[in-house]
Amino acid sequence: MQEVINELLETMMSNQVSVPVIQPVIDMAAQIPMMGLGISFILWTPIFALLICPGLSTLGIFLLFFPWIERKLCARIQWRVGPREIVPWLGGLIQLLADTLRFLFQEVIVHKDAHRPYFLQFAFLSFAAALLPLLFINAGDVIAIASPYGIQLLLALVCLFPLFILGLGWASNSRFAFIGSVREAFMYFAYEIPFIIAVLAMVILFGTSNPILIPDKWGIILNPIAAFTFFVGAAMATSRMPFEIPEADQEVAAGPHVEYSGIAFGLIYVMCYEKAYILSTLMVVLFLGGGSGPDIPGLTVHLGDLMGIVWFLLKVIIVMTTMFVLRTIYPRYRLDQGLTIGWGAMIAISLVALAWSIVFVFMQQGGVL
Amino acid sequence: MKKVTVQDQGVVEKAKCHAAAIGVAMKESVYPLTATVQYPRQRKKMPDNFRGYILFDPDKCINCWECAFVCPANAIRMKEAPNKKYYPTIDYGKCIFCHFCIDSCTDGALRTTKIHDVAYKDMDEMVTLTEEMIEPPEIVREDTKLVEYLIDDKDLQMKKTREVDNLFVDEVPPSVEIPVVSQCIDGASCIGCHVCEYVCGSGAISSSIANGVMNMAIDTDMCTGCGLCVKECTMQILKLVRK
Repeated sequence: MQEVINELLETMMSNQVSVPVIQPVIDMAAQIPMMGLGISFILWTPIFALLICPGLSTLGIFLLFFPWIERKLCARIQWRVGPREIVPWLGGLIQLLADTLRFLFQEVIVHKDAHRPYFLQFAFLSFAAALLPLLFINAGDVIAIASPYGIQLLLALVCLFPLFILGLGWASNSRFAFIGSVREAFMYFAYEIPFIIAVLAMVILFGTSNPILIPDKWGIILNPIAAFTFFVGAAMATSRMPFEIPEADQEVAAGPHVEYSGIAFGLIYVMCYEKAYILSTLMVVLFLGGGSGPDIPGLTVHLGDLMGIVWFLLKVIIVMTTMFVLRTIYPRYRLDQGLTIGWGAMIAISLVALAWSIVFVFMQQGGVL
Repeated sequence: MKKVTVQDQGVVEKAKCHAAAIGVAMKESVYPLTATVQYPRQRKKMPDNFRGYILFDPDKCINCWECAFVCPANAIRMKEAPNKKYYPTIDYGKCIFCHFCIDSCTDGALRTTKIHDVAYKDMDEMVTLTEEMIEPPEIVREDTKLVEYLIDDKDLQMKKTREVDNLFVDEVPPSVEIPVVSQCIDGASCIGCHVCEYVCGSGAISSSIANGVMNMAIDTDMCTGCGLCVKECTMQILKLVRK
């Protein structure tokens, strides 16, 4: 038994997230028998990636504050004020906390015609599906599962989302939900192919699909067309405003989740933010150099692995904010316009991006670049 | 069937439009122009002739019933008071706030206020009796700022001043007289009855016969815009228009 524990400890200690600034505190805590084990467990890189960053905690904080940032920013651009009544001196910062409390205390109504087990299951399962892709993304040097097929696995898991949304719509058994689901399915096929081709272009360009091995180069400079395609694809995938086709409020109420209430609705409401977060992390890793950033003397030495995480999160925040500002600039496309963009221009652009990458790689190998 | 086509723009033109839209969004996110009045804490400045809650002064009332007669929504009922006079009561469930009653009030017994936020518990309470109209209703003032909309040459600007607006209007500003003149809108329908010529006190209307056709002419300089000819015209082809 002791041997197993020692072996486990050795594995954990050999792969720790190093943060020199808090190292004395960790050393002090390590003297306490169980505490030391707990801390070294949390600082074990895979667990750290899963629980702290880019995993659960970061996602939770983003989900708490990003809807507020979006509402506030859009309100400013549209000459409004935005949420303000809850803690006015902070500008309504904890608005979503209040919303969550309200959702928690609200009854989850399962209407008569709904398929009860699936109706409830899909709402909660979709949240789990949001966490899975985060296993394969790296924040700086911190990653949960470093796989040579990391990006492919991540893409495959991201593609699970629409399945859950379709399931929600089907289980709701309501005409609005049906229409919304069908629109979601249409859009899904329209954005998925150019989106995957854009990622493929970057994988070819970098020559690896292991996110931790991707060099700290800015892919947006190496292949701007792929970056543009990826960004538009991400906007379509998260059903943000110009492509808010499945959830078109004015036409099909709220699309697939029209029948939901209470905490089930709360979970579905944050689902598009989860997706935005995951796709933003992927965008940062592929196009914005991941956790790399300029060397700040004094800070980089002290923060260690945390510095990469800080740069990574800063870039993610910028990408997500850009994605949210889209809804103040563009009105919604019709379904047929969205499909035309997806199957027409987007595929064409993504193929150009793919060709760009191939030519780039050939030129690199030929010694031209 | 006609098909509406979108004006075809070049790629460069489109890109320019996109860039302009993004630029506006970025500018507004840094220096936003807010157009919202945060109502209970801020109040919009209302003009002095704002059509709000109506107050009544029984000392000035002469019992002419004009307000009840003119009310288009039948919101005003006259009730007998202990001093055997009839005073108005207003049903705010029916009132459309046209303020014809205040305009028609000969001695200024009814007057307007800038109060527009009175809440009632039920429909019966909305029938406001005469004694309730003498004193203004009890309202909770939370506002600390006064908001004014100013339109400068380009944008709508919001001016906020830290003061509390006086909701009661002491003196309604006199209405501005718009100069009007009489004009014939359909000369071909004129039957030449000369009524307008007879009735005109200032002699602005003259008639002449040429080739057996009657011609009426209105001198706009002499016309005072009294409207008598418009009222008396048998064919109703005269109209008062702005000078």
